[in-house]
Amino acid sequence: MAFQNYKPWLGLTGSEWVGLDNFRYLFEREDSLQVIWNTLIIAVFKLMFNLGVPFVFSILLNELRKMVFKRFVQTLVYLPHFLSWVILGGILIDILSTDGGIVNRALGVVGIEPIFFLGNGDWFRFTVVVSDIWKEFGFGTVVFLAALANINPTLYEAAEVDGASRFKQTLHITIPSIIPIAIVVGTLALGNVLNAGFDQIFNLYNSLVYEKGDIIDTFVYRTAILNGEMGFGTAVGLFKSVISMILILISYRLAYKWANYRIF
Amino acid sequence: MRTGSKKSLLLSICMMTVVGIVAGCSGSSGNKENAQGTAPIETTTSENAYKDKYDPPISITTVWGVDPELRFKNNETIEKNVATQWAKDTLGIELKSLWSVTDTNNAFATKMRLAMSSGQEMPDVVTIGDEQLAQDLIDSGLFREVGSLFDQYASDTWKKAVELDNHVWDPYLRDGKKMGIPVLDYAYNHDYLLWIRQDWLDKLGLEAPKTLAELEIVMDAFKNKNPDGLAPSEVIPLSIGFKNKMNTWMADPSWIFGAYGTIPQQWNVGADGKLEYGSTQAGSKQALEKLKEWFTKGYIPKEAALWDENKAADPAVAGKAGILPGPYWMSGWPLVDTVKNVKDAVWKPIAIPTGADGKAGRHGTKYTNGVVLINKKMKNPEAVFTYQNYMFNNLADPQVGSEFDNGVFKGYDYDIDASGKVLHLDDIPGGYVNSIRYLLVRDGARIPDAQMKALLNLANGGEAKTKLELEAKNNYGTETPAAAKVILEQDSISMKNMFTGPTTKTMKSKMDYLNKIESQAFNEIIYGEKPVDSFDKFVETWKASGGDAITQEVNEWYDTVK
Repeated sequence: MAFQNYKPWLGLTGSEWVGLDNFRYLFEREDSLQVIWNTLIIAVFKLMFNLGVPFVFSILLNELRKMVFKRFVQTLVYLPHFLSWVILGGILIDILSTDGGIVNRALGVVGIEPIFFLGNGDWFRFTVVVSDIWKEFGFGTVVFLAALANINPTLYEAAEVDGASRFKQTLHITIPSIIPIAIVVGTLALGNVLNAGFDQIFNLYNSLVYEKGDIIDTFVYRTAILNGEMGFGTAVGLFKSVISMILILISYRLAYKWANYRIF
Repeated sequence: MRTGSKKSLLLSICMMTVVGIVAGCSGSSGNKENAQGTAPIETTTSENAYKDKYDPPISITTVWGVDPELRFKNNETIEKNVATQWAKDTLGIELKSLWSVTDTNNAFATKMRLAMSSGQEMPDVVTIGDEQLAQDLIDSGLFREVGSLFDQYASDTWKKAVELDNHVWDPYLRDGKKMGIPVLDYAYNHDYLLWIRQDWLDKLGLEAPKTLAELEIVMDAFKNKNPDGLAPSEVIPLSIGFKNKMNTWMADPSWIFGAYGTIPQQWNVGADGKLEYGSTQAGSKQALEKLKEWFTKGYIPKEAALWDENKAADPAVAGKAGILPGPYWMSGWPLVDTVKNVKDAVWKPIAIPTGADGKAGRHGTKYTNGVVLINKKMKNPEAVFTYQNYMFNNLADPQVGSEFDNGVFKGYDYDIDASGKVLHLDDIPGGYVNSIRYLLVRDGARIPDAQMKALLNLANGGEAKTKLELEAKNNYGTETPAAAKVILEQDSISMKNMFTGPTTKTMKSKMDYLNKIESQAFNEIIYGEKPVDSFDKFVETWKASGGDAITQEVNEWYDTVK
């Protein structure tokens, strides 16, 4: 389908073959470079922070003594993961409003002018990344906590005998022990580098931030689905899959080299 | 899970196509059993095949996209229910269903596309609401020309209803041939007027504004001398939103452009009789300048660019907005809820204000809501007209005492108690069912101006007698008749989108980009991020990036239907 001017009533066999026309269209559009760039920026930031924040958070959480409190926090940060972006989009528009939104009011108290989070391109990217991390870091934390639970307690005991402080123990035992998991999670996430999060952006973006907020997925949605250009939609899907596959292969090699981790 | 629904949708379409092809190959080559039943009528086919009632009954195949809200009772289904029984008894037409699907997430259109691509048997008659799908089906060549049938068999009532606007055929013309019968809908459903807080006007001692200049005075008073004692920062004098488009179904600013002689994001007839795109006309620049001024003064919401239709209605319902533009039916929803928040709020409809030179404009409503297609292979195409003529003659505007006076089917969408009194909808034994949706064509039959006429009669103090009048009186908001009157009095300013043809070649590849730079340019001007003169640059880019080619294609199409 990616190489056809696909028409549903002609089917796969009857549709006209157009070679690379669909791909050419993807790159010929006046704004396609911008769109791809937006996708990469947003996705890379999300990738980095979605790895870093849960990593740090889970280590901090692990240091807590009260089991009940730890469980409580863990569940609490995990909850937003289950909310849909359709709902969150509506909530975010309200709380980030320049006109009495709770965030801007709080900023007003410390003397900062209201910020148009969803209407200014740069702030839009910031908002998208931060809100995505807020929603998803609980999920990542769970993975790391599982890894932390697997660390052999005798290592800590030995370190204590040697007189290592709590901080030293974290630095030399905890972190090295979960680095491999972090690399695996990062490797898997790399495959998603061209997915900047359709559900989220689609529910938050608006024409004021098209320049900095339009990503491949929203652009394909408008072109392929709304205008019925199935061939083009498939072409972009294929393009994304190929890029993702290359990235995964590379990162898999790297993971093997640095973390001695391999699946096959 | 964050892969995006688009990708999985595409994937499932691919998978289903493959399955569909396999299924299509193994399927039988159509059913021939009804050939027998139709044979006896052959004698009269040559002169006049049309019959008011078929005896013996004939059958028509169709497919259904069932509205998820639609309910059934007495163990009925869309395939077999009170309406199919009625058609068999009264008209001798047996409706056979090839398949049916609950129409969520566009399931009907998807299923129809799959049926088309896998070469499954197409129904004799099908009603399509999705505009793109309708065009694709017509282009598939599986459906026949209907214009000659319509001329020959359609009843006078139906023909007159269609003649109210001959442009309803436009989208379905191919080389001058009519390929589908437009499904008529009530007119003016999307035509705009302004809803204004009459209680605020009264307390301020102001008249309803007639021009933009007067409107500004009113908005200023609403904001800075608010009669309900709201602080200026709390009031939104004019609640509009344009997250999706500048030209949509509620609370958009298109009428401000109208005051400068154009309507954005649609094709209007220009001075030279050719179609021109509203957003790139000089009038749009002036309108943007005005919007920018209003934005700076705080007359319109600070986040209008982020607000969709429903969001823009929120402050109005909360009692914090003074004016909300929109269609005549808004008295029923959403404005009816305002009194829950502000006890003495009164919304009144007023006409669209005029610009400095007396011009005014609002976007118009097309009279159609889909299309009926007839299969090339259908044996008794005139039977469609037997069915629909009956609907237009009896259901479209039922008179007092006629068959459908109280509703369509007794015990379904109405009921009568022992004393002959019509029951309240909630009291129907077994519950109310919107059985009009069981009919072959969506909503049975609607004459575009019938509802407006009924409302106008009520607005002029007439008593509610006919079904439509009673319906309007009992079910719609209190101000709806008055609003209908306002709409009709300003009929001449209504501007319809004159391009209703299939998507042109350049549109397919360029329109999304053009729409994108347009809304970006408009919003940036309104928000003051770019000077008003950047509009000229936008028009230049628009024309160079395919706009000129599209304009030409649109006019080539327009020449064929003019």
